[in-house]
Amino acid sequence: MKKLRYVWVNVLQTLLRMLPFPCPTGLIKIGNPGRDAPVLLTCNFGLTVERIKRVLEGLDVYLLVANSRGVNVWCAATGGLMTDHDVVSVLKTSGIEKFVDHRRVTLPQLAATGIDGHAIQKKTGWRIDWGPVDATAIPAYLRAGSEATREMRRVRFPRPERLEMAVAWAFPLSLLAFLLLPFWKQGVLPVMGIVWGLSLSIFLSFPLYQARLGQPGRHLGFVFFDFGRHGLPLLIWTTFMLGLVLTLGLAGNLSWAPVLRWGLSSLVVLLILCLDLMGSTPVYKSGLHDDRLLKITLDEELCKGAGFCETVCPTNVFEVDYGRRMATLPRAAGCVQCGACIVQCPFDALYFGTPTGEMVPPDTIRRFKLNLMGKRLVRVERNESSTTDHPDA
Amino acid sequence: MSTYVLMRILESAPHRYELGIRLLTFGSVDRAYERLTSRIESGQRVLDLGCGTGALTLRAARRGAQVKGIDVNPEMLEVARAQVQKASLAERVELVEMGVAELDGEKPQSYDAVVTGLCLSELSHDEIRYTLEQVRRILRPGGLLLIADEVTPRGRVRRLLHALLRAPLVVLTYVITQQTTHAIANLTERLRKAGLVIESTHASGLGSFLEIVARAPAGTGR
Repeated sequence: MKKLRYVWVNVLQTLLRMLPFPCPTGLIKIGNPGRDAPVLLTCNFGLTVERIKRVLEGLDVYLLVANSRGVNVWCAATGGLMTDHDVVSVLKTSGIEKFVDHRRVTLPQLAATGIDGHAIQKKTGWRIDWGPVDATAIPAYLRAGSEATREMRRVRFPRPERLEMAVAWAFPLSLLAFLLLPFWKQGVLPVMGIVWGLSLSIFLSFPLYQARLGQPGRHLGFVFFDFGRHGLPLLIWTTFMLGLVLTLGLAGNLSWAPVLRWGLSSLVVLLILCLDLMGSTPVYKSGLHDDRLLKITLDEELCKGAGFCETVCPTNVFEVDYGRRMATLPRAAGCVQCGACIVQCPFDALYFGTPTGEMVPPDTIRRFKLNLMGKRLVRVERNESSTTDHPDA
Repeated sequence: MSTYVLMRILESAPHRYELGIRLLTFGSVDRAYERLTSRIESGQRVLDLGCGTGALTLRAARRGAQVKGIDVNPEMLEVARAQVQKASLAERVELVEMGVAELDGEKPQSYDAVVTGLCLSELSHDEIRYTLEQVRRILRPGGLLLIADEVTPRGRVRRLLHALLRAPLVVLTYVITQQTTHAIANLTERLRKAGLVIESTHASGLGSFLEIVARAPAGTGR
C-alpha cells in the first residue's frame, strides 16, 4: 500500500511537475525517535515528502513539513512561497518542542535563499543547520553528526533529474497535440513524437552543451512564452506561416486545413525550443528574469569571515580565507544570483549591485526575495523623492 | 548624493486581491466586515490577525480603536500601510510583519478585541489550534473575537451545491488574481474547544461565508 502510494505520487506529480501539489503540513514521526532524535524540515510538495520519507526509512527522526504552498523547496524558498514565517510556524505549532530536548533543526540547503537562519534562531531559539542539497545524502549527513561535506553542498543536474524535467515539459505540451484531433487525426501522433523527442534530447544531451551555457550573455533557445521582449521566435514563426500561405497560394491550392495543421504543429515545436531551459536546470538562473542582472558584491569592511556564504552557496562560489578572516569569491562566474549568501550573512557584508550601479540592501533582498526568481509583484525602482518613510529608502 | 532603491508594488495588485476575495465570497465580504466592526468601540485595543491590505484594520481604526495589524505578507502590508496613510489613521494603526505563531510574544489580556477576516482559512489545523489558544490568552476577560471566514456549509446538499457553484469561480478568480481561499470545517466547534464562548453567528453565501462573534469567558483569571 505504502509502495503503491509512492509509485502513484511519483508518476502523477512528475508528469504534472509544473503544478503545485500541496500535502498536509505538520510533524511526521519516522521510526522510533527519542528525545535527542534529529529534527529535519522540508516543504509540503507531495513528491518531495514521499521521497524523503523513503530515504529516511530505517532511521529514527522527526520530519517537519512546512507550508510551501505545494511547491518544491528551491522554487518556494527562492520565490517567496516558503518564508521564515512558515518555518517559525511549524516549529511552534506542530508540537515538536514537546518531543525533543534539543533545539536544532536541519533545513535543506536550497531553502537558504528565502529562509533567514539567524532570524529564526532569534525568534524561536531553534538553531538552523543547513543539510545537504540532495535528500538522498541525508543518512550520510546524519551519520557525520549533521555535517555536510562540500560534495553534498554542490548542486548538480544528474541524468535522472534531467529525465524528470524532460518529462515534466513534454507531457503537458504533448497534450496540446490533441488540439489537432478534430481536423488532422493522423497528425496527433507525429506531433507528440516530436514533442517528446525534442524534450528528451534537449535535456539528456545537456552535458554536451553545458560548458557553453556558462558564458555570460549566452542563451540556449529563446525564452518560453516571452514574445514581448524576445520577439525573435514569433517573428520566425510568422515568417514561416507567411511563406507557407504564399507558397500554397502561388501553387493555387490554398485552403484552411494545411495552414492550421502546419501552424499548430510548428507552434508546438517552437514552444519547446523556447522553453526556459536554463530556468529548468538547478544550475543556471532562469532566462525569464534577464533584466535582473544583479551582481553579488562583498563589502570587505563588514566581512568577518564567518563563512555562512561558503556553507549555503549551491555553486561553490566562496572560499573563506581564515588567515585574513575574510570571504573571497574565486569562482564568482558560477553565481546564479540565488541570494542565499546575502540572506544568511549575519554582518550584511554581501549585497546585490544593479547594472546601474545601485546597491540593493540585504534587508530588501530578505524581505522581498529579490533574486533570480523573485516576486513578480515587485520591481526595483529608483526614487528621487525623500518624502517616503519606507525603511529601505 | 543619495539614491533610493525602493520596492514598489504594481498598482493593480491590491485591487486584484480585493476583487478576487469579493468574487469568491459571492460579494458577502464587505457587508460582513461592516457588521462585525460595528461592535468595536472608540478607544479599544484591537488586534487584526492576517490584516492583508487592511480591510478590517481600517474599519476598526475609523471607529476610533487603536489597532495592531499583523500579516506574513510584506507586499500586502505595504498596500495596507499606504491605505492607512491615505486615510490619515497612522496614529491609530501599527502594522507588523509577523505570523500567528508569534502571538506568544503578546502580553496576556492585552486586547479588547481580536478581529480576523479570511485568515484562519489560510492556516493549517495545527496553526488554527495554536491561534485560538493564543487569542484566548491575549483577550481580556469578556473580550471579543470577531471572525469572518469561509467555512464548509452544513448539510450534504448545501455542500454539493456550494462546491458546484464555487468551482467555476475558483478558476475565474485564479485566472484574474492568482488567489484562492480554502474553506474550514467545524470552526465553531473548534472555538468552543479553545474555551471561547460563541455569542452569535451569521451565515451568508449558501452558508459558506460565516461571521462569528465570540468572547473570552468573563471570569478568566490568568
